[in-house]
Amino acid sequence: MKKVILIFGVLSLLVFIRPVFGMNASSANVQTTTTVAQMEDETSESFFAEAVNGIKQFYSFTGFANAQSGNILMIFIGIVFIYLGIKFDYEPLLLIPIGTGVILGNIPFVAGYQTGIYETGSVLNYLYFGVVKGVYPPLIFLGIGAMTDFSSLIANPKLMLLGAAAQIGVFGTFLGALYLGFSLPEAGAIGIIGGADGPTAIFLSSKLANGINILPDGTTVKNLIGPIAIAAYSYMALVPVIQPPIMKLLTTKKERLIRMKPPRAVTQKEKMIFPVVALLLTTFISPSALPLLGMLFFGNLLKESGRTERLADTARTKLIDIVTILLGVTVGASTQADIFITKDSLMIFGLGAISFVIATMGGLLFAKFMNLFLKGEDKLNPLIGAAGVSAVPDSARVVHAEGIKADPHNYLLMHAMAPNVAGVIGSAIAAGIILSFLG
Amino acid sequence: MTHIFLMTDTITEGYIILITGLSIVFSGLLLLTLFFKFAMPVMLYVYKIITKGPDKKIKEISPKVNDQFTGEIAAAISAAIHMYLNSQHDHENAILTIKQARKMYSPWSSKIYSAYRNRL
Repeated sequence: MKKVILIFGVLSLLVFIRPVFGMNASSANVQTTTTVAQMEDETSESFFAEAVNGIKQFYSFTGFANAQSGNILMIFIGIVFIYLGIKFDYEPLLLIPIGTGVILGNIPFVAGYQTGIYETGSVLNYLYFGVVKGVYPPLIFLGIGAMTDFSSLIANPKLMLLGAAAQIGVFGTFLGALYLGFSLPEAGAIGIIGGADGPTAIFLSSKLANGINILPDGTTVKNLIGPIAIAAYSYMALVPVIQPPIMKLLTTKKERLIRMKPPRAVTQKEKMIFPVVALLLTTFISPSALPLLGMLFFGNLLKESGRTERLADTARTKLIDIVTILLGVTVGASTQADIFITKDSLMIFGLGAISFVIATMGGLLFAKFMNLFLKGEDKLNPLIGAAGVSAVPDSARVVHAEGIKADPHNYLLMHAMAPNVAGVIGSAIAAGIILSFLG
Repeated sequence: MTHIFLMTDTITEGYIILITGLSIVFSGLLLLTLFFKFAMPVMLYVYKIITKGPDKKIKEISPKVNDQFTGEIAAAISAAIHMYLNSQHDHENAILTIKQARKMYSPWSSKIYSAYRNRL
């Protein structure tokens, strides 16, 4: 250790002594060549003035000089996201990367040095490629497929209809966006927020509202990926806040007390057949949703086949984690203030909130409607309709919590998972339909 | 993809997409529901028949074939199975693992390097 200090000391002494012996000729040359442009006309100025100039130039490159109120506002929002994620545990795996991304994307910088996410060639721009081209969402779906247990859905297939009913949120929002003056593809991308499915929303908006496509009237569509993704993810995180009041409003105390019979045991054979058959049926109906549904059921087959546990394990842990990190940060960073803070974003946020409300109401009311035809033990607890908005598994958890509040011994989680995963399938099909109509 | 409803205004087109889209989503998931409600049990049943042949009903099993098989034999078999299943712990693993107490020398684990670590 002493030797190291000794050597370091000698070296640093040499470095400092060099100018004294006139050995700095080479380094001085380098300095003059680099700053020759500025030095030429002000060689006579004093050392002090030059230093001040340098500091001024440096200052013009810092964030302090370039900051605009929009940047500060977005950075504040990013910090709020991180706070919400940590303090209230609202989807921290999403909100913390997105919050950090929002801060990253809004650090003020001088344009033209390949720094920002929208500048071609910057590192963030390369990572953002996966969002713009819709690469990340299918990979996330692969992981979701490898995580999801469809057995409660196989045991009670009629719950699949609740997942379809909640998609009314998608189409309702789509119509609302049209009335607010968005063009058709933009409205389609905004509508999918009602699917309560982050990856699907990013996938569809990257195809429809990416700022590249040309509309029939000759104008290009707006780039709405950032606002849509942020709206979808933040409302997904806020499901525990949005849904309970609507659930209480639309169900009576008696309905909330309904106990459903436990789902039957599902054989492994059925679980293996499910992904294959569901893949065939859904993609034949809606081929545009192929990247999403294909990966979802592929992941599920990896899980259920019993032979590819290694692949399933990677898909549901490491792979989905990696993609979530990249997706979260880049989606967050895409909210660069000059592009994000517009009237459109505000309207998208408003529409997003409405879409969640419509979707929840659609699910609840359809469950009540189904109850008209069901008798005795088969009756559904209408609360599980609210789980039809996908937001896996948060909305199922909210349903469970509400059920527990009404009757401490009524465990709805297993039942709520069925419309929940059906909602994922439903919103992917809906995305495919919108894409085939408007793509 | 082609734009289908170019002639109509956007709101009308929106309603058309709303209705058709919702009905397609519903019919898609309804199809899945019907498949898993009705077609799947049939498929599983057919598969079972193909692989194992249909299950015999009790009345189809002729008692004459099995008149040698008395209750005593059944009792003896079940007792044997019971004893076998409960006596497995008698067969203990005969292989004992002897761990070598003294490790072979290796410079990687040599104590001398850690003792003089501070001397560079």
